[in-house]
Order: sequence, then C-alpha cells, then structure tokens
Amino acid sequence: MVNSSSFECCRKQGSKLNENKPVSKVLVLEDCPAHVEAIRNFCDENNLIGVKVTRSRLASALRSNFDLGAIFLAESYGGSSEESAGIARKIHAARPELPIIMRRQTGAMPNDFPPGLDAVVCGTYVAGDMASLRKVIDEYIFNCEYPNALVRGISELTSPVLGSVFSDMGVAVDAPCLVRDRIIFGEVFSLIPLESTWCRGYMMIQAEEEPILDLLNRRETSQGAADFRDLNSLLGELTNLIWGAFKNRYVGDADALSHSQVQVPLLINHKQKYISFGSESPHLCFTYRLKDEQSGRTVKLHQRFAFSLSWSPEDFREFEQVAGETAGAGELDLF
Amino acid sequence: MSKILVVDDSSTVRDEVAGFLRKNGLDVDTAVDGKDGLTKLKGSPGIKLVISDVNMPNMDGLTMVEKIRGELGNSTVNVIMLTTESSPAMKERGKAAGVKGWIVKPFKGDAVLETFRKLAS
Repeated sequence: MVNSSSFECCRKQGSKLNENKPVSKVLVLEDCPAHVEAIRNFCDENNLIGVKVTRSRLASALRSNFDLGAIFLAESYGGSSEESAGIARKIHAARPELPIIMRRQTGAMPNDFPPGLDAVVCGTYVAGDMASLRKVIDEYIFNCEYPNALVRGISELTSPVLGSVFSDMGVAVDAPCLVRDRIIFGEVFSLIPLESTWCRGYMMIQAEEEPILDLLNRRETSQGAADFRDLNSLLGELTNLIWGAFKNRYVGDADALSHSQVQVPLLINHKQKYISFGSESPHLCFTYRLKDEQSGRTVKLHQRFAFSLSWSPEDFREFEQVAGETAGAGELDLF
Repeated sequence: MSKILVVDDSSTVRDEVAGFLRKNGLDVDTAVDGKDGLTKLKGSPGIKLVISDVNMPNMDGLTMVEKIRGELGNSTVNVIMLTTESSPAMKERGKAAGVKGWIVKPFKGDAVLETFRKLAS
C-alpha cells in the first residue's frame, strides 16, 4: 500500500499558493531534470501541486486515494516513446477519469497526439510552450469557476460545526483542491443533495471507520463500546449540521427554485472504491484534520462538493442573517 | 414528575439532549420521528414539554406539532423546535402551529436548562 509519504512533492521552497483559489494535485512523470524545474515553476504559477512517485510504485499509487487532478507524462518517460505509451495505456485502463497530458518532443505541434494514443491522452504540449499546457489544465481541471466567497465560506461554516461535535479536538483544514479521481477515502461516507437557484449537486463526508470508532470509544459513556451504527449516526448528524449551515448561508429561499428536478443515479462501488455523480467534471474538495491536543493523534475528514446537476456561478448569492432578527446557534428564541 | 419528550431521527442528538436533561434531574422519553412522537405523546399524558427536530423521515416535526394541536386536541403541551432550519418562513409555520420556541442546532444545554425546567413544570 502506498501512503502519502511515498509521494514526493515538487514545489519550490517558500512558494505561496493563491489561497483564494482551489489547488489541484498533478502526478508528474518526467525524467528530464530541466523540465522537472519548468513544471515546478508552472505549478507554482498555476495553483498546482506537483507530486512524484517512483516508477516501481506507480501502479500501487494509482490504486490509492491521493485526490489527483491530472497526470503530466513525458513522451520519453521510461526511456522511450514506446515505454511511455505503454505506461499511458496502463494508467488510462486503471484510472480513465484522470486526464493524461503529454509533453511531446520538441517539434511536435500542440494537440498532435502520438500514434495510437488519441483515446488515451487528452492534450499535449512541448517544452517552452507552457501556454498550451495552461490551456489543457484550464479545460480539464480549472474548468469551473468557484466564487472565492463560497470556497472560503465552506470551511468557515464547517469548522465550527466540527468543533461543536468534536469539542475535545482541534480542527485544521487543508487548502481546498479540485479532484478528478473517483477513489473513495475510507470505508464510510454520507451523501446529501444540495439544491438552490444557482447550484444543484451533493455534499459527501467521508471517513475511515476505525479512527472515529476509537474516538467514540474514548469518550466515556454508559452504553458500551461504539459500533458502526453509532458512527453512522454521528456522521449523519454531522452531515445534517453542515448541510443546514450551507443551506442557511447559500441556498436562501428554495421555493424560488426554477429548475426542473432532474436527478441522476449515484453509483458507489465500495469494493472497487469507485463513485460516480454522473458527470466527468472535477469536484471541489476540502480535507479537515481533527487533532487530539493531548495525545497528538489526528483524524481526517474529507469534504467533497460535486455540483453535477446544475452550476451557474454568475447567479451565486450569499444570504446575510440580519443582526437582531434571529437568536444565535444554540440559543432559545422564544415566540 | 413531569416528563419531557425528545424527538429526533438522530440517535446522537437524542442521546445528547436526553442525557443532558436526565443528568440534571429531569424525566425524559425519546422518539425517532414525528409519527413515533405522536404515539409517545398519546400514551403519556404526563409529557409537558416536547423538544423536536424538524427534518425527520416518516413525519416531520412541524407536521407532528400541527397534529398534536389538531388531531390530539392538545393545546397545553409546550413545544420547542431544535433544528438546523433557521428560515423565517419555517419559524412562522412553527409559530402558527403553536410552537413555543426555536433553537438552531447545535444544542447548548446550559443556555436553555432553566427555561426547559420551567416549560416542563
């Protein structure tokens, strides 16, 4: 099993991401040191996080959950174009949802696909023409505009909810990222639809079963050891609280919804760790880390937004609660 | 002793609210949705206060309150909604159905304990 420490991150030391924009992880399969440097610079400038893995661990890495947005593959990776083409075909067979962007040898035209790879590679570029690479990542990763207020607001409303449910733990959140892979994190997840006049889709909360059960068992109760039903209930209520906060802040008057109620089936194959929301678009993802301040142990929760049914960011609105009209959360508003 | 009925489809919330109230000497029963809440209320005339969620399967909280006042003809039991909902329209519906108060989750027991004691007495 490959864990996150098997991935090497290729970022410039001290480089800063644009924190108002979600990032995306790209797997960099590149043998040329000069071009690794070029990709490092490109990633810094384009809110990407490049990750590398040794060739021997590539297959097992692709079976793991790393929340990738795309794969950058050099045409000469592995020593020859035939080797690289074979690797591209294997990646595509294992993970067809991950776009493979190929760096072609100098002299090739942009989007001039290597022979036999037009169904495998989604775009190409040549060294020195990073504008073509930019165009491909804009098409396959950053093809959805997420309002800054939404991206910032989701973690703003989620973190206090986590803090209230897990009051004995600290809450930290990673930079939001755009993810194309469909591998599920952990074994258990909740799924709830989101609907408004400007968006329709789902929110999912995913978790590993054992750390949360361990956390529940460390809490003193008179009801015996926690089991998966307790975990289901906790995750369900957590999802409900976050959903409610999201609705209050971003949905407003749902009766004004003018779209027809289109639904698509959700496909969850847990044995294969596969999920489909019926669309190939990337999802907006957040990772929260709950830290037990005493023991130092941490628990990860992944939050994923897939606005796969409808997306109109130009109609995005935020609803302000007027001060004095409503009691704060937890306070009794007597009529 | 007067009884309180806690109605919520989430066992986590039922355990938290009922546990807190019991720890503070109150007699508490629980129900898993609006339909179960109506059944429990019919069978327990000693219930003086109902604390209920809104979004529940089988029967939602506001429909339950409307049936408490209508079908059961019970105009005296106090009802407080404990819910993620905060829209004015939802609260107006609650008020019209005879709900006494509204709490937006999460539950903060210490802030409401004394009021709950008074409403349950």
